[in-house]
Amino acid sequence: MNAAAMNANYDAVIIGGGHNGLVAALKLARAGRSVLVLERRTQLGGAASTEELIPGFRFNTGAPNANLLAEQVFALFRQHSPAFIMPAVRAFAPQPDGTGVTIWRDSERTAMELAQRSASDAKAYWEFARQLDRFAGVLSKMAQLRPPSLTQNPARLLFAWARLALQVRGLGGKDMMDFMRVLPMGAATWLNEHFESDAIKGLYAAYATTGIMQGPRASGTAFMLLYQHMGGALQRVVQGGVGAVSGSLAKEAKLAGAEIRTGASVARILTTDGRVSGVELEDGERITARQVLSNADPHTTFLKLLGPAQLEPRVYRRFRSLKLRGSSASVHFALSGAPQFLGAVGHQDQLQGDIIISPSADYAEQAYDDAKHGRLSAAPVLMARIPSLLDSTLAPARKHTLSVTVRYAPYALAESHWDAERERLGDLVLETLAEYAPNLRTLVEDRRVITPLDYEREYGLSGGSEMHGQMGLDQLLLQRPVAGNVGYRLGGHAPRGIYICGAGGHPGGGLTGLPGLLAAEQALKE
Amino acid sequence: MAKQQEYDAIVIGGGHNGLVNAAYLARAGLKTLVLEQRHVLGGATVSEEIYPGFKFSVFSYVVSLMRPEIIRELELVRHGLTILPLESTITPLPDGRYIYRGPDSAATFRNISQFSTRDAEAYREYSYAMYHMAKAVKYILSIRPPDPTSFDPRELLALLKLGKHFLSLGEENIYTLAKLMTMSSADFLEEWFETDPLIATLSASGIIGTFLGPRSPGSAYVLLHHYMGEIDGVFRAWGFARGGTGGVAEAIASSARALGAELRTEARVAHVITRNGRAVGVALENGDEIYAKRIISSLDPKLTFLKLVDRSELPDDLVARVGKFDSYGSSGKVNLALDGMPDLSCLPGYGEHMRGAISISPSVNYIERAYDEAKYGRFAKKPYVDIIFPSAIDPGMAPPGKHVMSCFVQYAPYTLAEGDWNSQREAFGDAVVDTLSEYMPNLKNLILHRQVLSPWDIEQTIGLSGGNIFQGELSLSQLFFLRPAPGYAQYRTPITNYYQCGSGTHPGGGITGAPGRLAAIEILKDAGKVLQ
Repeated sequence: MNAAAMNANYDAVIIGGGHNGLVAALKLARAGRSVLVLERRTQLGGAASTEELIPGFRFNTGAPNANLLAEQVFALFRQHSPAFIMPAVRAFAPQPDGTGVTIWRDSERTAMELAQRSASDAKAYWEFARQLDRFAGVLSKMAQLRPPSLTQNPARLLFAWARLALQVRGLGGKDMMDFMRVLPMGAATWLNEHFESDAIKGLYAAYATTGIMQGPRASGTAFMLLYQHMGGALQRVVQGGVGAVSGSLAKEAKLAGAEIRTGASVARILTTDGRVSGVELEDGERITARQVLSNADPHTTFLKLLGPAQLEPRVYRRFRSLKLRGSSASVHFALSGAPQFLGAVGHQDQLQGDIIISPSADYAEQAYDDAKHGRLSAAPVLMARIPSLLDSTLAPARKHTLSVTVRYAPYALAESHWDAERERLGDLVLETLAEYAPNLRTLVEDRRVITPLDYEREYGLSGGSEMHGQMGLDQLLLQRPVAGNVGYRLGGHAPRGIYICGAGGHPGGGLTGLPGLLAAEQALKE
Repeated sequence: MAKQQEYDAIVIGGGHNGLVNAAYLARAGLKTLVLEQRHVLGGATVSEEIYPGFKFSVFSYVVSLMRPEIIRELELVRHGLTILPLESTITPLPDGRYIYRGPDSAATFRNISQFSTRDAEAYREYSYAMYHMAKAVKYILSIRPPDPTSFDPRELLALLKLGKHFLSLGEENIYTLAKLMTMSSADFLEEWFETDPLIATLSASGIIGTFLGPRSPGSAYVLLHHYMGEIDGVFRAWGFARGGTGGVAEAIASSARALGAELRTEARVAHVITRNGRAVGVALENGDEIYAKRIISSLDPKLTFLKLVDRSELPDDLVARVGKFDSYGSSGKVNLALDGMPDLSCLPGYGEHMRGAISISPSVNYIERAYDEAKYGRFAKKPYVDIIFPSAIDPGMAPPGKHVMSCFVQYAPYTLAEGDWNSQREAFGDAVVDTLSEYMPNLKNLILHRQVLSPWDIEQTIGLSGGNIFQGELSLSQLFFLRPAPGYAQYRTPITNYYQCGSGTHPGGGITGAPGRLAAIEILKDAGKVLQ
C-alpha cells in the first residue's frame, strides 16, 4: 500500500483521523476529490475514541457523548450510522448532605423536583431553561456558519450572517439585549441572577468551565455553558462508545473512495513557491497533495508541521501566544458492579447521564484558584459517566465502566511533573467520588489515569488542550484559532492550501463535526 | 415650607457629573438647581480637611480622564482648574530592586533594561500601541449609545456609523481592540512583556475599581479605559488637580454658578415627585418640595430607580435588571497625615519619584492572591496599593514639612463573609500599613492621623451603592447600550422628564464628565434646544 501511496498524488491529504478529519474526508470524497487520511495512532477517532484500556472494559477516553453532534453531520450517514441511546436524564449532582439535584430531559419533572429544594428555584428553572434553549439555539446557528472575515466576504456568507443577525433581532428586543448581555458574562453571575440554591448553580458551573482554564466567575464561562447546550438538554450516548461515530464516518468515507492509513505520523507539511505541495511522514515517505487539511491542533499544524520559517513574524507571534491551557485530566475505572450514589439510591436511571461533583459555584471557583497557581485542585470538579449502565457491550456481564473528567488539572504544574502526580490524581478522584458513592471503593477492579501531559503525548493535544486552544471569548470566531485567519486557512503571505479542519477552527471543540465540515466546504471552493 | 418656585431643571447630586450636567443645562439657558446631600460639593471628587492643616483627596485621587471638550467648553481653566503632572510610577520589589517608569524615557529604558532589554524596547512600542487604541475608541466616549433593538432609521444609522468607525480602524487595530475587549490584562500584557513585576504593575490598571483579578477576562478593557485619559492632548497623562481632586469639582461648580446654575448643599432629596408618569419635582428629607420641568439624577442606577422613585412607576423588567446591576465595591482607601516624608527602602530620600505614584504590585500572582481572598468575602491581607503623596505635588495640601499620603487599596469586598466593616475597618487599615511598612520601614513612626474607608464607608458617606467607585462594574455586560440597563442607556428613564447622568450610564466611571455632558445633550434635545 505504501508503494501505491508513494507515487500517488491526492487532491487532499488530511492530517489526523479524529472525528473532524473524517468528516472532512467524507465530505471531500463525496465531492469526488481523491482523499488520503493519515492517522498517527493505530486507531481512528483521536479525542473521540473508545478504547479497551483495561481487558474487557472499553472506555470513552475523550469526548463522553454525542450531545453536540450537528444535524448536517447526521445527514452524512447513509449505510453506516451509529446508534444513539437517549436517557431521560441529563445530569445528576449528588450533594454533600446526601441529597441530589437532577436535570431531566423533561423540564417539568426537573422543576417539580427542584421545588422540594427551593420553590423560587423551581420557578426560576422555567425561565432559565427557556433562555438556555433560545440562546444556545442562536449559538448553534452561528456554529454552522463559516466565520466572516474583515477583508474578503463572499456575498453568500454575508447574506447568511445577515439572516442570522435578523434572527437574533427576531428574539425580540428584550431577549436580544439579554443575549448580548449574557454572552460575555461569568456563568456564576448569570446563575446568581436566576437561582438561590448552591446545588444547581454548582451543577451548571461545571458545564460552564468545560475546557477553559478559568473559574465560573470569569467572563466567557456563560458562553461555554450555552455552547455545551447547543444540542439542547438532550443527552445522546453512543451505542458501543463514542468511537462508533468515528468508526461509521470512516466506513462512509471509504465507501466514498477515501483512503485511510493508521500508524502514519506526519513529520512535515511540504510547500513549494507559496503553495502546499504535500506532507512528509516520520519514515521519510513523501505524499503529494494539492490541499492539506489538518485535524491536528493549530500549534502543532503551524509551528511544528509547517514551521515558523513559513510564517510572517506577526502571524508567528499570534500562534506563539495561542492560549492552549489544558485544564482537564480523566480517570477510568473498571468496576465489578454498579455504584450507589447518595441522593439516587435505588434510582439507577438518575446515573445514566452526567454525574457532576460541584456542590456550589464557589466550590468550582476554589478548584480553579488552585489551578491558577499551578496546583491540581485539592477539591476537584468531577464529571463522571457510567455508559455501561445503558450499553452492556462496554463491560463484561454485570460489570461497569466509570469514566471521570477531572478539573482542574493544569497542564503546567508549578512544583511537580504529571508523571509523578498520576497516581495521586487517581486516588484523589476515587476519594472525592467515594464521599458521594460509599460503595465505590469496594467495586474498583482497576483504573487508568490520563493526565493533560498524556493527552499531549498520546493524543497529540498540544498543552493538553482538549479544545485545540482554550475557548475563551478572545479565541472565538474571527480570532479562532488566531486573528487574521480567513475561512480555516491563513491569509497574508502564508502558504496557500493549508486548512485547519479540527477543533482549532470555528466553532471550536466538542464532538460537533462542524470544523471538519466547514473546512471541507471551504477547501471545495478552492 | 410650602411649594417653592419653579426651576427648568433640578439635578440630584453634586458630584462632578451632576455639576457638569447642570453647567451645560444652565449654559443653554435653563434655570437649573443642583441639590447635594453633603455639606460639600463634588461627591467622590472632593477634597476635605480631615485632620487640621491636612487636605485629603478623600476618595478619587487622580485626574486624567476628564474630557478635553468639557474643560474647553466650560472654561474650567479660567475657573481655577490646574492639573499638575503626575508622571512617574515606581514599583518597589521585595528583593530591594524597583521598576521605574517616568517622563524621561531614557531613564525608563535603563531601568527596565535591568530586568529585560526586550521589555525595555517593547515598552516603547506598547505605549505607542495603547495610545493609538485609546485614540481609536475615544470616539465611543463621545457618542450616546444607539439602541440596536430599534428599527428607527436614526438608530440604525448610528449603528451603521459605529460599524463604519470600527472598520475604519483597519484590520490590525480591530484585532487588538477585540483582544482588549475580551482578554485579561495579564494575558494581554504577557504578549508584550516577560518581566512579571512590570506586567503586574501595568495590569493593575485593569483591576482598579472592579471585582476582577489581573487574570480575569474583561480586565484588559478596564486597562484600556484607564488609557483614555487625555490631558492637553497627551494620552495616558495622569495628573493631580491643585487643591486635590476637589479642585476639579470646585472649578466645574464655579463655572456652573457663573452660567447661572444654583448649587445647594445639605439638601438631601428623599424622592422624586411624579404626577401620572411625569416627574414634576423633588421632596427633600426636611419636607421641602421643589418643583421643576425636569429632574436629572446623577446618582447610581440603584438609587436612581429603586430609591428615588416608586417601583410601581417602572416596568418590572427594569426593576429586576437594576436590582441585579452589578455594583459591589472592591476597593478601599487609606488616607494618612504624616509628620514627614517616609523613605522607600529601595530608593531612600525625597526624590522625584515621591512626586509620582508608588505601586505595590510585586507580581501578578501577588495581586491574584489578594483577589482570591476578596472573592470569598475577606479583605486582602497583602493588598495591591496605589500610593501618591498629594502634598509632594501640591505643597498646599499639608503644613510645611508634613505630608498627606493617599493609598488606594484593593481588594476590600463590600460584603464581608465574617463580621462587618465597623468591626473590620481598623484591621483592614492595619493590613495596609503593615504591607506598606515592608517597603517604607519608617512609615509607622510618621503617622499623625489615619482615615480608613471601606466600600461600606464610601456608600455611607457619598451614597455610592455597594461602594462601587464606577457606580457599577465596567464589565462587557454593563457597558455601552447595556449600561445601566438594556433600553435605558440613552439617559432617559420610563418616567417622562426624569433623566440619569451619572457614571452608571455610558461611558462609565472615572472623572470624565462624559455622562453628564452626553445626558445634557439628550435633555436639551427633548427641550428643543441644542448643546452649545
